[in-house]
Amino acid sequence: MSKPLTSAVEALLNKGGDMKNSRYWSPYAAGTLLGLTLLATFYVAGRGLGASGAFSLVTGVGLNAVTPDYASRLKYFSQYLGSPSPLMNWNLFLVIGVFLGALAGALSSRSFKVMFDKGASMSLGTRLATTFGGGVMIGFAARLARGCTSGVALTGGAQLALSGWIFVIAMFVAGFLVAAIFRRLWS
Amino acid sequence: MMAPFEFSALAGLGLAVLFGMVFGLSLERAGLGDPHKLTGVFYYQDFTVPKVMFTAIIVAGTGLYLLADLKLLDLTRVYFVPTFFWPQLVGGALFGVGFVVSGYCPGTAVAGLASGKLDALITMIGVGAGTLLFAMLFPALEGFYVSSDLGTATLQKLIGVNHWIVLIVLAAFAGGMFLFFSWYEKRATHSQS
Repeated sequence: MSKPLTSAVEALLNKGGDMKNSRYWSPYAAGTLLGLTLLATFYVAGRGLGASGAFSLVTGVGLNAVTPDYASRLKYFSQYLGSPSPLMNWNLFLVIGVFLGALAGALSSRSFKVMFDKGASMSLGTRLATTFGGGVMIGFAARLARGCTSGVALTGGAQLALSGWIFVIAMFVAGFLVAAIFRRLWS
Repeated sequence: MMAPFEFSALAGLGLAVLFGMVFGLSLERAGLGDPHKLTGVFYYQDFTVPKVMFTAIIVAGTGLYLLADLKLLDLTRVYFVPTFFWPQLVGGALFGVGFVVSGYCPGTAVAGLASGKLDALITMIGVGAGTLLFAMLFPALEGFYVSSDLGTATLQKLIGVNHWIVLIVLAAFAGGMFLFFSWYEKRATHSQS
């Protein structure tokens, strides 16, 4: 592509974006591509997107590899452990794709950088605790809600399913409430 | 043959990787591998999350119901996210807290790790630990987990209107929100300079 055309496309993609972070696409352009991807999974496969299902599968299969006796006693994981090849799973391959697609995006835009991200005034110990503790809450909550931001909020939201909108509203309300406490950590 | 389609297990997994790649690319290119951008909305600093999310929901929702109304897609064979009112309300709220605390959600943590963020890997391990905790406590939680089962409840069934009315109201709400964000961002830029 010629230089003026490249910069015109970049300017278009960045329209509506935040000028300080012009290395990213416009959120409306990225959201449109994400929406079309979700629509394609509905149309082709009759299902939506999901990320937390793969985490649940890998946890169940991993536990079964370490301690099969204990894993077989956990009723929740029996949904995965009955299959002869549980890892041949749509949700897992989808998440492998997410990693590859995001890696391609980070490398091609030269924004790939190995780092341990934390709030400016946050100590390493605090960040270790928040990143792990927050993850535990997310993992637990996603099982209780039968999915996460992609499987319930995005997929259910687009289907106009009540589940998606309950999740979206509860997530934002609770997030704003707790952000008041965590403001000092992140800003 | 009407969509959705049937295909072999292997072809399905190949498609899953392909769809996942575009999903991951959109997340990373929107900046959603970065915990500062991901939590920015909760501190009124960066509205990328609601902009991306509501755009994607309106695009996919409009497309889904358009394809169904044009008889190009059989909605009865599309898996709808089932509603369990109280577990999803409590789960959604706890999820929001974990999101603000860690700075990621499961999909964006994967995108974060792919862009080199090692803290995202710790969040991913935490998600596994939270899942294990849920599975261990499942006997005690099961009664609550299966309670308030509303099946495949949708907003249009609940309110008793056509799905296009719901979509138009949602699109108008999202549009109003986007205008507000743009006004708020301009105001914040002016007050800084």
